[in-house]
Amino acid sequence: MAAPPGEYFSVGSQVSCRTCQEQRLQGEVVAFDYQSKMLALKCPSSSGKPNHADILLINLQYVSEVEIINDRTETPPPLASLNVSKLASKARTEKEEKLSQAYAISAGVSLEGQQLFQTIHKTIKDCKWQEKNIVVMEEVVITPPYQVENCKGKEGSALSHVRKIVEKHFRDVESQKILQRSQAQQPQKEAALSS
Amino acid sequence: MSLKPQQQQQQQQQQQPAAANARKPGGGGGLLTSPAAAPSPSSSSVSSSSAAASSSSSSSVAAASAGGGRPGLGRGRNSSKGLPQSTISFDGIYANMRMVHILTSVVGSKCEVQVKNGGIYEGVFKTYSPKCDLVLDAAHEKSTESSSGPKREEIMESILFKCSDFVVVQFKDMDSSYARRDAFTDSAISAKVNGEHKEKDLEPWDAGELTTSEELEALENDVSNGWDPNDMFRYNEENYGVVSTYDSSLSSYTVPLERDNSEEFLKREARANQLAEEIESSAQYKARVALENDDRSEEEKYTAVQRNSSEREGHNINTRENKYIPPGQRNREVISWGSGRQNSPRMGQPGSGSMPSRSTSHTSDFNPNSGSDQRVVNGGVPWPSPCPSPSSRPPSRYQSGPNSLPPRAATPTRPPSRPPSRPSRPPSHPSAHGSPAPVSTMPKRMSSEGPPRMSPKAQRHPRNHRVSAGRGSISSGLEFVSHTPPSEATAPPAARTSPAGGTWSSVVSGVPRLSPKTHRPRSPRQNSIGNTPSGPVLASPQAGIIPAEAVAMPVPAASPTPASPASNRAVTPSLEAKDSRLQDQRQTSSAGNKENMKPNETSPSFSKAESKGISPIVSEHRKQIDDLKKFKNDFRLQPSSTSESMDQLLNKNREGEKSRDLIKDKIEPNAKDSFIENSSNCTSGSSKPSSPSISPSILSNTEHKRGPEVTSQGVQTSSPGCKQEKDDKEEKKDAAEQVRKSTLNPNAKEFNPRSFSQPKPSTTPTSPRPQAQPSPSMVGHQQPTPVYTQPVCFAPNMMYPVPVSPGVQPLYPIPMTPMPVNQAKTYRAGKVPNMPQQRQDQHHQSTMMHPASAAGPPIVATPPAYSTQYVAYSPQQFPNQPLVQHVPHYQSQHPHVYSPVIQGNARMMAPPTHAQPGLVSSSATQYGAHEQTHAMYACPKLPYNKETSPSFYFAISTGSLAQQYAHPNATLHPHTPHPQPSATPTGQQQSQHGGSHPAPSPVQHHQHQAAQALHLASPQQQSAIYHAGLAPTPPSMTPASNTQSPQNSFPTAQQTVFTIHPSHVQPAYTNPPHMAHVPQAHVQSGMVPSHPTAHAPMMLMTTQPPGGPQAALAQSALQPIPVSTTAHFPYMTHPSGEACVCRGRRAPQSILLAQVEWQAGPALQAPHLRTSKTRQSVHSRDCDDQFSVRA
Repeated sequence: MAAPPGEYFSVGSQVSCRTCQEQRLQGEVVAFDYQSKMLALKCPSSSGKPNHADILLINLQYVSEVEIINDRTETPPPLASLNVSKLASKARTEKEEKLSQAYAISAGVSLEGQQLFQTIHKTIKDCKWQEKNIVVMEEVVITPPYQVENCKGKEGSALSHVRKIVEKHFRDVESQKILQRSQAQQPQKEAALSS
Repeated sequence: MSLKPQQQQQQQQQQQPAAANARKPGGGGGLLTSPAAAPSPSSSSVSSSSAAASSSSSSSVAAASAGGGRPGLGRGRNSSKGLPQSTISFDGIYANMRMVHILTSVVGSKCEVQVKNGGIYEGVFKTYSPKCDLVLDAAHEKSTESSSGPKREEIMESILFKCSDFVVVQFKDMDSSYARRDAFTDSAISAKVNGEHKEKDLEPWDAGELTTSEELEALENDVSNGWDPNDMFRYNEENYGVVSTYDSSLSSYTVPLERDNSEEFLKREARANQLAEEIESSAQYKARVALENDDRSEEEKYTAVQRNSSEREGHNINTRENKYIPPGQRNREVISWGSGRQNSPRMGQPGSGSMPSRSTSHTSDFNPNSGSDQRVVNGGVPWPSPCPSPSSRPPSRYQSGPNSLPPRAATPTRPPSRPPSRPSRPPSHPSAHGSPAPVSTMPKRMSSEGPPRMSPKAQRHPRNHRVSAGRGSISSGLEFVSHTPPSEATAPPAARTSPAGGTWSSVVSGVPRLSPKTHRPRSPRQNSIGNTPSGPVLASPQAGIIPAEAVAMPVPAASPTPASPASNRAVTPSLEAKDSRLQDQRQTSSAGNKENMKPNETSPSFSKAESKGISPIVSEHRKQIDDLKKFKNDFRLQPSSTSESMDQLLNKNREGEKSRDLIKDKIEPNAKDSFIENSSNCTSGSSKPSSPSISPSILSNTEHKRGPEVTSQGVQTSSPGCKQEKDDKEEKKDAAEQVRKSTLNPNAKEFNPRSFSQPKPSTTPTSPRPQAQPSPSMVGHQQPTPVYTQPVCFAPNMMYPVPVSPGVQPLYPIPMTPMPVNQAKTYRAGKVPNMPQQRQDQHHQSTMMHPASAAGPPIVATPPAYSTQYVAYSPQQFPNQPLVQHVPHYQSQHPHVYSPVIQGNARMMAPPTHAQPGLVSSSATQYGAHEQTHAMYACPKLPYNKETSPSFYFAISTGSLAQQYAHPNATLHPHTPHPQPSATPTGQQQSQHGGSHPAPSPVQHHQHQAAQALHLASPQQQSAIYHAGLAPTPPSMTPASNTQSPQNSFPTAQQTVFTIHPSHVQPAYTNPPHMAHVPQAHVQSGMVPSHPTAHAPMMLMTTQPPGGPQAALAQSALQPIPVSTTAHFPYMTHPSGEACVCRGRRAPQSILLAQVEWQAGPALQAPHLRTSKTRQSVHSRDCDDQFSVRA
């Protein structure tokens, strides 16, 4: 399996390889550590988001068929300083989200519900699971199957706002499905995403 | 739940079945522990809660250390890594910056870890170790079946994947710029946006039915920007129940204007309207308004290539219809208006840019007509200019004023009034009260406000001086120049005064500081020159500025004296002086002297003008002009009396001589009278000089009356005020008016209370001179302390001689007006005119001081004030002496000397005064030798000293004298002065000084007091002491001032003093204790014996002074030395050393120290003189306070 490449990778090079799981990987070299045989690649975002990218950390010990598609001689761009505290807080929130999501899932919430919850949570932090119901801002309660008409609460700006979110969520989900079906149509995808 | 991968690599997994694989009960101590555990079989996969908790960075570090700790535990590790690294340096991937960067940037992101057995674990990437062991928080194994998310029980707190255990780690949808610190920089934002926003599809706009629509136009024409406030309020109220408390009247922030039909209000309103007209009629204003109200769009103005001239702007159309006009040129057109206007009026005439501005400003105030443009300029530029280059500008203004008649007249008078008094006040007063009112207001303001008021006075004086200067500017200027010391001294004083005025105004505006500094510098120069070359000094101080200063100097003088009157008179003089203006500018100092002299004359006229001045500004101008003419006549008349001395002076300065002569005549008469009759005579004489005809008698009467009053109260302040009071009365009145807003008369009345008759007289015709004569007040002081009065008289006489440099006298008058009330009057009894000037100077100084004290600059400012005061005093003194012996000197150089002395600043003046004592005791000649001014002072001082005037002398001698007096008064009448007209001025000044500029003014006062005390101790000795004290004091003064520029001048002054009174000084110095450090030897030798106690103070003073001198030395060590020359030099040097210390700390501190010392000195001296004691005590207290503060 392990076929440690005896060569170095220069940052910016396009590299292709195949893992022990027979998975083909390709991307731009971001970093490479010889001692640990770790290769970091940057690949186009799997979700198609233009400004995002997938980062792969590959253990070359379990990779074969490593080949450099094209080498890059230019010096890589300087590294930007990172806001560690921001990253740390992100890690914390991500963890909490996942745990809360898991909690909801463990309660038997449907996938749609989970997705809706995540969507709402992106916009409104003040939302939580109450059994299988999503409670937003302590005012609006969304009960399964989590459709727009399931949003209940005191009539007001909050309810209408949540309804808009829910409505948009399912619209996006639909578009997502369409996109997945016809991946060739990237533009639509983007449009849907952007919208 | 496939354990395979883990099992393969990790024993622990084996131990812990599947699901549990990742989960580890309470994590170890953290990554460190985890790593450590990792080595051990049991902890193959470590999930430590603690690790999760730990921050990525810390954890990573921990991991790193951990990594270091465990060499090749992992399978893959052993082979690949196998690099146990003991060093602190980064190990493993930690040494790979790019790897660290990329991994760190994905911290906190969700990731999927594919292990060797194909299982995929998803979690939040927490951290990594140097060996690339990864920690995932809230991780769970992803089931192949894409079902819902993990269940709570499936999630493990955290999992540690050894680098050898995973094949690929995938981070999805990473935003590379997420964690960038520069996320909010333009580049970062734009980069992000550019990436995210693919160009939106542009859609053609379909106007639909609105094609032609009015609606569209309506939209375009809808100027409303957002919501109407009322709509917002309504909306908030309806939707949120928020009720606005907004009150359109802003009653919470403003006080509604109470309209009434009172004369005061009408005057003020008229004044306000006038000012508004002036401002609105100014080219600059129009230009700026045009800029603001330009309908053209930014594009039209700056970027559009306009080809259709017709539709757009007239500019383009008119000149260059279809041509493209560069934006820059377009602007130029607009700008040109303002600049042209500004330049055109007085600026050009003044010659100095700064001058014009001031002049304009002043003129605007005083001369409505001429002033308008300039005013505008002033409004915009003038003040600012003063601020920037206070000294230079003030001088420039004054100079310019002198040089350019129009500017002078207009600028000097008004500027002072305005600057001092807040813009609003001056206007009202000027208009309502005419010149007098302004003057009075100015003084009052000065007193009340301190600097401002001072400035007004100073300005007034300057104007007077200017006028005189204008007349004799050439000659005087030449003389001054030639005699640099005298002329400069005078000029400096004048300049100072004027600067003070400017400064004051500037101070008010913020400029003061600068002006003070400039003044100081000048003073230093003067000091340096003072010894000889006040002129040089001036020049030197002005060095870069020299011209300006010179000009400024003259101007100041002119401005000071002319002040309000000056403006009017100044104009006339200026006309006369026009020819001389050029010379004047150079001779500025001389001009200043002349101007000062004139101011004295003018002051009367002003007073008259004021009395007349009820009419609006125009009337004021006319009055002023008339007054000026009258004054000229008067001056001439006076000159006739003092023609002899004047003649001498005339040799140097024609008109200046005339004015000087007038002054001299006045002074001489005064001096003579004073000498003969003591204070009463002096007062009368002074009164005569000041306001030749009317005021004199009245003044004399009032003065006499006042004198008694003053004596009773604290003669100096109140009584002195008497003489000066007349002038001061006007000023005070003005000030009072300003303060009270009441008309001059009311103030005058107030002042009158103390010197009942006086105030009125002064206010009316003679006010200036009367004030000058305020000598009445002086007389009053004299009465209290006959000696003083006499000395004062002498001083006045001296002052009058000083007039030799018209500027000087004018200055005095001006000072007198302000100063007069308290000290000036008393002193001025003889010197009344001078006193006023001195007071003004003091005020100026005080003002200066205040500014300085207020801000760092204060010191500088104070020095100027002192300098001015001193100058004023010195002039007076000079006049006295000159009359007697030094008249020639004065004539020839006295002005210069005075100016130098003045420049030397208060200290110089003080020295002179002291010197005078010394001269008296020893010989005026000495003083004369050193500096005629000093000699002159010495003479006056001597009389004073001999008689009792010590205090007076002090006041006179030192510019601070006024302050001293004020202080004395303060002590005596601590604050009574304030209440009382006469007292008020000084008292206010003192109070101001004390209060606002406690440290600075106190110092001077203290010094002066000390000096006075010394004088008191033994007339001659005192004189000597004074000299010594003065010398010391000057030093002290200088120190304070020196800290900035003034000190230099002071040092010189001190030095001069020392030189002058070496013998005397020595006695004074005998005080060696004080002097000990410095000089002591010289001074001590003489001084010690005579006035140990006093000397002690003196010593302190000296020591402190040295500090000042030193500072000066430091700044311009040479100057001081030259001045002091031999003996003094030692002092200077020593002082310098001491001073250096002080300076090292801070100029202010040094000043304070000096003050303290001075105070101490006074305390010692106190024994000699009760008054002095009281004062000293007060001073000492102040000093203590100061010390405490300083400490």
